[in-house]
Parts: sequence; C-alpha cells; structure tokens
Amino acid sequence: MERIHSLYLHVPFCTWVCKYCDFNAYAVLEGLIPAYIDALAREIETAGEALPIGPLDTVFIGGGTPSLLTTEQVRRLMDRVHRIGLAPGAEITLEANPSNVTSEHVDGWLRSGVNRLSVGVQGLQPDALRFLERLHSGSDAIAALRTARAGGFSNINADLLYGVPGVKLAGWLETLEAVLAAGVQHLSAYELTVESKTRLGQEVRTGLVPMPGDDEQLAQYWAAAERLETSGYEHYEISNWSLPGFACRHNLVAWQYRPYLGCGAGAHSMFRRFDRSTERRWNIKGPQAYIKQASASGHAVAGSETLSPERALGEAAMIGVRLLDGTTAARGFPVQRTHLVEAGLLAEHDDLVRLTRRGIELANQVGAAFLV
Amino acid sequence: MSTPTRLTRAISVIAHVDHGKTTLSDRLLEFTGTVAPRDMVEQVLDQLDLERERGITIKAQAVRMLYKADDGQTYQINLIDTPGHVDFSYEVSRALAACDGAILVVDASQGIEAQTLANVHQALEHNLKIVPVVNKIDLPQADPELVREEIEKVIGLPAESVIFASARQGIGTKEILEAVVREVPPPTGDPAAPLRALIFDAKFDAYRGVVTYVRVLEGTLRKGVRAQMMQTGKSFEVDEVGIFRPERTPVDDLSAGEVGYLIANIRNVRDSRVGDTVTDAARPASAPLPGYRHVTPMVFAGLFPTDTEQYQQLKEALEKLQLNDAALVYEPETSAALGFGFRCGFLGLLHMEIVQERLEREFNLTLLGTAPTVEYRVRLRNGEEVPVDNPDHLPSPSEIESISEPIVLATIVVPSVYVGNMMQLSQERRGQYLNTVYEPGDRVVLTYRMPLAEIIHDYYDQLKSRSKGYASLDYELVGFEEANLVKLDVLVGGSPVDALSMIVDRTKAQQQGRRLAEKLKTLIPRQLFEVPIQAAIGGKIVARETVPAMRKDVTAKCYGGDVTRKRKLLEKQKEGKKRLKRVGNVEIPQEAFMAVLSLD
Repeated sequence: MERIHSLYLHVPFCTWVCKYCDFNAYAVLEGLIPAYIDALAREIETAGEALPIGPLDTVFIGGGTPSLLTTEQVRRLMDRVHRIGLAPGAEITLEANPSNVTSEHVDGWLRSGVNRLSVGVQGLQPDALRFLERLHSGSDAIAALRTARAGGFSNINADLLYGVPGVKLAGWLETLEAVLAAGVQHLSAYELTVESKTRLGQEVRTGLVPMPGDDEQLAQYWAAAERLETSGYEHYEISNWSLPGFACRHNLVAWQYRPYLGCGAGAHSMFRRFDRSTERRWNIKGPQAYIKQASASGHAVAGSETLSPERALGEAAMIGVRLLDGTTAARGFPVQRTHLVEAGLLAEHDDLVRLTRRGIELANQVGAAFLV
Repeated sequence: MSTPTRLTRAISVIAHVDHGKTTLSDRLLEFTGTVAPRDMVEQVLDQLDLERERGITIKAQAVRMLYKADDGQTYQINLIDTPGHVDFSYEVSRALAACDGAILVVDASQGIEAQTLANVHQALEHNLKIVPVVNKIDLPQADPELVREEIEKVIGLPAESVIFASARQGIGTKEILEAVVREVPPPTGDPAAPLRALIFDAKFDAYRGVVTYVRVLEGTLRKGVRAQMMQTGKSFEVDEVGIFRPERTPVDDLSAGEVGYLIANIRNVRDSRVGDTVTDAARPASAPLPGYRHVTPMVFAGLFPTDTEQYQQLKEALEKLQLNDAALVYEPETSAALGFGFRCGFLGLLHMEIVQERLEREFNLTLLGTAPTVEYRVRLRNGEEVPVDNPDHLPSPSEIESISEPIVLATIVVPSVYVGNMMQLSQERRGQYLNTVYEPGDRVVLTYRMPLAEIIHDYYDQLKSRSKGYASLDYELVGFEEANLVKLDVLVGGSPVDALSMIVDRTKAQQQGRRLAEKLKTLIPRQLFEVPIQAAIGGKIVARETVPAMRKDVTAKCYGGDVTRKRKLLEKQKEGKKRLKRVGNVEIPQEAFMAVLSLD
C-alpha cells in the first residue's frame, strides 16, 4: 500500500457532551483517561511497526476534548509519534476547549511539539452558548485565543457555529468580528447541523426547537464568507478559511484523497492500495471496549471496507469537490461533469472542476453525482 | 381409497374478506388429519408468498379430506378454498359451481358484510346447501347472538342451524364437519355418463405445464383419455389425474362428484380456462356445463420499467406471469414520458397491485405503474366505435360523437349511522341511487348505479374512512352508459406528461385539474430548478402550481472520519432516486402517477 504520512489520534472524553454533538465522545468517563492513554500509546506503537508509515507530515489530536489530557499524557502520546518519525516542519494540531487553554497547558503543548491549536469557540453570545450547552463564556473563549497566541502559538484555528436558533445575522457577524480581532490564522465555520441521534435532533423532531430556515442559514454563511475574504482569508473548503499558507494540512490529506492512519476509539483510517483501491477501517467506538482490545492486542479494528478502484475514484471526486480552488479528482466523470456544469453547479477549467456559488449550496448533489 | 358416492361431499368456504375463511380451512385440515401437525403452517392452502404475507387468498385451492363421522362412516370431503376479494368474484362463482354445499363464515364482531351477501346469493344460485358459521367468537367485541339473528333475518337460514366457532382456537370444528356430512347432499352425477368436468382453476407448473383443477360432475376422468375443452375446442392427452391431500397425489381416475386435477401437457393457462367444461374427445358430452364466461379485465394501467433497460425483462416476466394468471392481459405501450412499457388489463385494483408486486418481487424489476383507468367506448363522428383504455389515446374532441363508460351496480352494507355519509359520497361520485334496505343488527344495504371509473378512483378508501371502516362494498358490471367526459392533460416543466392524462366528468374537470396540480406539487420533490405543473383541458391551462428549486443540500463537516458515513448516505439517497422516473429534466416519483386516484 501507499506510504502513510498522516496520523489522527482520537481522545473520546468530554466534561459534558453538548446536545448537538454526534462525535464519538463520552462525558463522566474521565477516570478512564490513564488506561486509555496506555492503550492508545500501544496502538500507535503496533501500527508504526505493522504499516508503511512515516515520516509524518501531519498529526491531529482530536476529540472529544484532547485538552482534558495532562501535559504529561500529551507528551507520552507525542513520544510514540516521534518514534514513528516526524518530517521537518510537520503540522501537529491539538483540539482544545476554551476552558482548558491556560498558559501552563499552552506551554506544555508547545514543549511536546504541538504547533497548531484548534479552539472550540463555537459562539460568543450568552444565548448561543447556553443553547449549545457550552460551559465556557464568550470572554473565556476570546481569552483562550489570546492566551494561546501570547504563549507562543502562531497557527491558531477557531471553530464556530452559525445558524444557531436565536442568533440572527447581525449577532453572528459580531461573533465573527470578535474572533477575527483576537487574531486567528484559520477559521472553521460550520452550520449547526441537526443529527438525528442527538438530543438536539430529538428536540427538533418533537418541535421543541425550531431551526432557522435554509435562507437564513445561507445568508449567515455567505455573509461570513464575504467578511472573511475582506480580511484576506482564503475560502479553501466549504466550511474552512485561512490566511495564505495556513490551510489545515492534515485535513487537506483527507480531501485530496491521500492515506492516513487513525488511532483511538472509533478512529477511521484510510489506506490506498497500489491497484488504486481504497481500504477504510474503523476502530471499536466504546472507550472501555477499545481499551480492553487495544491493550491486549495493540489494535482495535471493528470493521473495514474496500472500495474498488472505480468506486474509490467516485469517492475521491465526492470529497475533492469540497476544495474550492478546484479538483482534478472528477477527471474520470465527463458525463456527470457536463450535466453538473449545465445545471450551473460546477465550473470547468481543463481537468479542473470547481463548485459555483450554487454548487456550494448544493454540494451534496454534486458529490452524489460521482458515486457509481 | 375409493369412496362410495353417497359418502362424498364437495364444499367451499365462503366469507367476506378477513372473516377467517382460510384459518377455518386450516383447522379442518388439521382436525381431519389431512395435514400432520408438524407440517402445519398458517394458511396451508395459500401457496404464494404474497398470499401468506398479506393474509389473503388469490388463487382457488382444493384439498381432499377424509373424515370419520359420528355415524361411524368415513366421508370424503372435498374442500375448495376461494379468493375473498371482489376482483376475483368470477373465480369464486366457478368454485361454487363445483360444489354441493358451502360453509358460510361470518365474523362474530363484524356481522354480515357486502361480500357475505354477494357470496350467499351466488351460493343460492348454484343451489348449494349452506352451513352457517359464526366465527371469531373468542374476540372480546364478538356478539355471536346478534350475528346469529342477523343470519336468520337477512339470509333466511334458521338460527338453530348456526354453529359458533373460533377457527383460531379450534372451537366448533367438529360440529362444522358433522353438519357438512349431515346437511350437504352427496353428488348426483352418473359415473357412466359422458364426461363433464368443470374447470374451477388452473395453475402453471414449470415442470408439468398447466395443472387444471376440476370437479367431475358426470362421467369419469381417466388418465390416458383425450380431454377436450368444450369452449376453446382444444384437446390434450391426459398424462395424469390426481387429488390434493393437500399436495398433488396421482389416482387412476376421478369419477362423478370427485374433485381433483389433470395434467395434459398444456403450456398456457389460457387453454385451460376457468369455467370451461372438460369432456372426453372420444365420447363427448352433448353440451357444456352452463355459466362459462370469458373473463374480461375491468381496469387498465401502464406498467413501465423505471430503468429502460429492463423492458425485455419485463416482457419476459409478463409472459411467465400470464401462464399462471389467465385474467392478466397486456400489450406493448409507448409513452412519450415513460418510454416503452405495457398496457395491462386487470380484474380490479387488488389484482393490479398483486401483479405489480409479483413482477417486482419474483422477477426483480423496478416498475412504475400509471393510474388505473377503465375502458371507454368512444363513438366517432364517422360512425365507428373504438375502445379506449388509455386516456392519452382519446381521439380529438372534433372526431368524437359520444363517449360511454362502464357502469356497475354497487352494493354497500353499512351501519345505519353512516348512511348519510355513504349517500353523500356516492352522490359526489356520480352515483345514481337505487334502493335502501334496512336489516336487523342496525345494518343498511344501499344500492347504487355508478360509473366504474369512480369506484376505482379512491371510492373504496373513502367508503372505509367515512364509515370508520365499517362499510363494505361489492359491485358487478351492468353495462355501458353515455357520459359527458373530457380529457385532462398535465404538463410538468412545460412538457405534457401523457401518463398523467385522465378522463374526467366535464363539469368537474376544472376543479379536478386544480386539485391534481396541487397534489402533484406535494409529490414531486424539489429539483435543481423550479418546476411548473400545469393542468390543461383541450389546450387551455386551467391550473398552475410551481415546485420551487432545491435551496440547500450541503454537509457542513466532512473530515477523514466522516467520509464513509457521508458516502453511504449519498448512496442511499441515490438508490432512492432509482424509484423516480426521469421525464425530460424532471424526476417524478411513482406516487405522482397515482395522484389522480385520490383528489378529494
């Protein structure tokens, strides 16, 4: 298989699982963290031996809330990562909850090699934070961004949510303004998505919570896009913006259809075989089962699927079109391309296709067209 | 194995749909040891998967049981299980013609319903001795006494003769069998006379060809004779005769009064028509048995493969299905909107549903069915008369002198509180009121003359919903009548969709057009662009609605761990789209083609 240069580590613990979240995250299981770190370290080690991996260009420690780990625990994980080998200038991201961004933590993270911090701001307005069940305040979040910067991080991302019930366009733009003022190099703005299995999903289903309509959500999206562009941020993926040179390299690996290894509970891996087929694997989701399995055997794969070269091509195009500079991944689909261009969803430049404005709004229609 | 004629009985079980006919048959089979308890599955006689799943009987079945009665004698009881639905009433009538008696099953909680009456009338026409049974007496809402009284007053059978039973619990089974051997007369035919055997069903067996179900009324049917079908004139060498126990069991002969089957290398059920008389070509009977009727379809609809490449498969599937279903007719049809398909004729809506479901299930096809319509008779200005079973084929108004439509006599049985609702509904549906009869048990029998077209358009569902499920319906075709009809066209995205055309009453056409457009708006999913829907009469637009363009369909987060889930989601949506038919640029779901059926 193709050599792997990207590693994702999953930390499935949170102090509180917010009602809209459908990630693999668990509250009140924090007591499991030490055993979990042992198991995860073991899994990284085993994978490092068994797979063609390294030197690593990107590492992403995500969750859950990785900032709940002690700096010592982060260091232990990074030790294992170092043993696989890091490429010069590797991007090493850690996701943090604003409540955990203290100068001590920042110092510890930097020392263990983390050089990109992704802060889960989500919102700043009290109503929005209450609705989203965030335990930090707006000023906590801004303070977190400042602390990270002051402590030495020069590559910081803020995660934001728009389309939150009760937050109008003006309120959303104020939030955006404040985050920009705090000085971030990267910004992810996600539409608040109602996932059916979450508590929010249930509240929306039962009519308890009315969600903003499509027009309102799109208005907030495009207003943000315009505002960010004014400040020199490049809109490089549907929900992501960065100053030049600060696009998230780890996520680009997935969008450009390059392989990565995922370790930890519920983590997904993607491998590319030399025959152009793709293998996807995923780990056991539950932390306790994961710990048991990974500590015993060094791996915790729960399932996998292999996509034929043809289907892999379609999947690559489905993901690739999310990159707004365009992608060559849709090369093999002339019929679909023509149809989508005629429908005004795609623009074509030689081998490259790019979503139009309308194409962004209907990106799933575009992506689905390439699935065979 | 041979039983003297005086100990032979031939009976059928008749009932309104769902009153427990098939379950009772199961009990009889069990009680007489015809089916060993370990082989007992529910609905033994229903052989199609679809029959078991839906709990209905589509094909008639026959079985021979041996019953040792209290008088010490062992009787041979031939039981014919019949379909209960009005679509198959001709099959029922032929099955009854093959019997000497009938067990009438009435649900203790529902009482007498429309098909109970229709079946009783048929049974009486055939001079059958009726053994009345009140079934489901174990249900909490059962009122057996009231139903017994109803049977006496409505049908005229003495209350003392009514047997209380619960087929589910096996109560009353023995009493029913005793009544059968006591009450139902033995057959009277002469085994030495020239052969006359009535065909009451036929099914296709992939290995043996057509298996013809017969009751010998006179003479004896032997293996090796040349069987002649008296209506079609065709003759076949009989390879095998046998009885059902319940599986096919060959015997040497079937003599007068006996029920069984014959196999004669017949390749198509059309050559073995229900109602036809089998005789011996070497010594033919002088006249066929009475009552033969050529089965004619009552409703017509187009069936199209959603994937145009499945046309050939659909053709082959129809050919195979037709081998087993003499009532199904079809011919190729081309629709500008839907491409190549077949115009099919059915006995009724249930028959249509069953055929479509069997085609999809047994032949792995994905089909699109257009709204069913009746066959109109159109008199042209030039004096010619043409049948029209497809609204799109209606000649232009300038050529038409008049249009006639099929009329039925509809019998509705309903509790008296709903009479007003039933009358209103029937009036709305161009019904012509004929008669009201009040029956005991607070039951009313209404009769109407109605266009069949109105009945197939949602009438039955409305009947049920406006009577809280209590009304029941039976109908029979009585003829054709001239009517003031006009063609309503539908344009989707600016192009006419021939498969959505309908023929409607002129006075209601504009209103129907508006309702149809409104309804289609809710059924056609949003597309990438705005889709106008228009209804037109003779080129004049009478209604317009617009399906707005799809506004937003984008996943906010798609990272490494989300890809599989997202791909599967999109694949699933795509799979769902296969059930849509692309007409021009617009994807139209199956339900849209049925929209014309429920415009109220």
